[in-house]
Amino acid sequence: MNPLDAVFNAKSVAVVGASQNPEKTGHIILRNIIDGGFGGEIYPINPKGEEILGARCYSTLSEVDGEIDVVVIVVPAKFVPGVMEEAGKKRVKGAVVISGGFSEIGNEELQEEVVRIAAEHGVRVIGPNCQGFNYTPNHLCASWPLVRKQGPIAVISQSGTVGATLEMWAEDDEIGISSFVALGNKCDVSETDLIEFFAEDPNTKVISLYIEGVKDGRVFMDTVTRARRKKPIVVLKPGKTHKGMRAVQSHTHSIAGKDEIFDAVCKQTGIVRANDITELYDYSKALGFLKKPAGNRLLIVTSSGGCGIIATDTAEEGGIDIVGLSDGLKKSLTEALPSQCVVQNPLDLTGDTPAERYKESVEIALAEGKIDAFLLIFGDPIPGACEVVKDLKSRTKKPIVVSYLGGGEIEREEGKRLHQNGTPVFQTPERAVRALCVLLSSL
Amino acid sequence: MHETIALAKKAGKNLLEPEALRLFSDYSLPVPPYELAETKKEAVEAAERFGYPVVLKVVSEQVLHKSDIGGVKLALGSKAEVERAYDEITESVEKKVDGAVISGLLVRPHLKKGIECIIGMTLDPQFGPAVMFGLGGIFVELLKDVSFRVLPMRRPDAERMISETKGYELLKGMRGERPKDIPALIDCLLRTAEMVEENPDIREIDINPLAVYEKGAAVLDARVML
Repeated sequence: MNPLDAVFNAKSVAVVGASQNPEKTGHIILRNIIDGGFGGEIYPINPKGEEILGARCYSTLSEVDGEIDVVVIVVPAKFVPGVMEEAGKKRVKGAVVISGGFSEIGNEELQEEVVRIAAEHGVRVIGPNCQGFNYTPNHLCASWPLVRKQGPIAVISQSGTVGATLEMWAEDDEIGISSFVALGNKCDVSETDLIEFFAEDPNTKVISLYIEGVKDGRVFMDTVTRARRKKPIVVLKPGKTHKGMRAVQSHTHSIAGKDEIFDAVCKQTGIVRANDITELYDYSKALGFLKKPAGNRLLIVTSSGGCGIIATDTAEEGGIDIVGLSDGLKKSLTEALPSQCVVQNPLDLTGDTPAERYKESVEIALAEGKIDAFLLIFGDPIPGACEVVKDLKSRTKKPIVVSYLGGGEIEREEGKRLHQNGTPVFQTPERAVRALCVLLSSL
Repeated sequence: MHETIALAKKAGKNLLEPEALRLFSDYSLPVPPYELAETKKEAVEAAERFGYPVVLKVVSEQVLHKSDIGGVKLALGSKAEVERAYDEITESVEKKVDGAVISGLLVRPHLKKGIECIIGMTLDPQFGPAVMFGLGGIFVELLKDVSFRVLPMRRPDAERMISETKGYELLKGMRGERPKDIPALIDCLLRTAEMVEENPDIREIDINPLAVYEKGAAVLDARVML
């Protein structure tokens, strides 16, 4: 079994540096673990406290009688080696060092000392200088903000904020995440260790990665090549420009190689490369929910003529075929639909369409069988979109992507329900089509 | 490790062009015939054997960019032209590069230009050796129309690194031009990759240009840095 399994599926957690002060990180993390609904033992460690947030406080790790699987360390850097020594003696499986003050400010020696002590006792270390981890299947949010919603995306991030952003978007959209892990200085656990873990993790369908550099290029290639056989991987790696590269070096001291080379690595290993945070989220969403279509023939069904055109342009540029309708299909659609509908691809059901009309149209198109994927664009408030898509999904395995926009409160409600139902919804037609392009090019 | 690399490494030098060409020949890259002439007489004899026109290029450790300092003469059509080129090259190089030691002049037949491509290799600090491909001239310099692959590289990688460049359209044959020998180009990329994998001391390769014809290809200039 992967050694990180004991960390993510921990049965007991200690927070060293737990604090009474609600503004301190040591308080926030403890509160998130409790409020997140963690079912195992929780041990706040603080020599001064008696009770924090209703949990009995211990002055040291050794004072705890029971076993401790994971230790979250939030004390100043100089105390971390001592805590690690104690954690090692307590046979802790993993330590998450939130504290900064290590290699990121040139304090390499202190970091090496921590690594050495941890290695002696077989403790795996996440961080230091990181935002912790969240593993929703175990209701263990040793991080912030508190995100509970369980879903298909595992986020591994060298930036706390980028990771947290993905978590929050996924929660707001009712998609959820399986996990978020902040890499920090990667003194022990690196992106490849985590990719390996999530490739096998039954709660994860897609791995979403923000990195500024990799620990070891060859190991990275071998790991993702293996992981790709199990799960799709999306990566955002900035530092494309000269000054961007310089910013990378001052942020995480990563060696920034040529961007073209990393691009080649993505192509050779089948990783999807995202250009910004929105793409990272969109592509993760699409790959987490849908299977690759059998071909590139797309039918766009829309209530908005304009959005249909935007989708068509994006599709054409991305190599998706906005396939012409056969005479037979045109005839059946014309017979079934009211006269104001524009029977071609994009199929414009026009502004007053009820959701039912989408269902009818897709069913007729499905019968003809020459279409590989569907994009349904709901412009304006159209209630019942979710029911229609749910129904269609029971009839076909072909991917259905939704773009919902201009729909006010109804859009918000339907969007959430569609996500709960496993259909990705995008706020603009071009984002929906780009996600489809990625789905098509995935291995 | 290839013998030429072992020798150059021992001497702490990069490969001279004839050495690079020998290395390439041993990896079955398409190297046109060449000879190293140490005297004017030898240059003429070589030219007569190949038949005119020929090319003369200076071979010197101290010279990195041959054309810039008058170290290359193309399309020499007669004995007299070869003799004059020989003098002009040696004189120009000695004048423009302080302390240049000329090992000789490389003589080879003057070949058609075909479509000029570039195959390169660099070492990436994170991913190690990577092979580069692009079309010469404005494609590389102005449009940055190049593609890379990290080693190990397989045939589909080589195919895609050609087809993803804009210059691919030219290779396929535009405006009535006949298509160029893309399979030969793919072989060149794969053989370069193989050469790099078997010789980890190579830091940089620049095959520029590699002429690609309707049938076959030819390495017209090569640099190998250790």
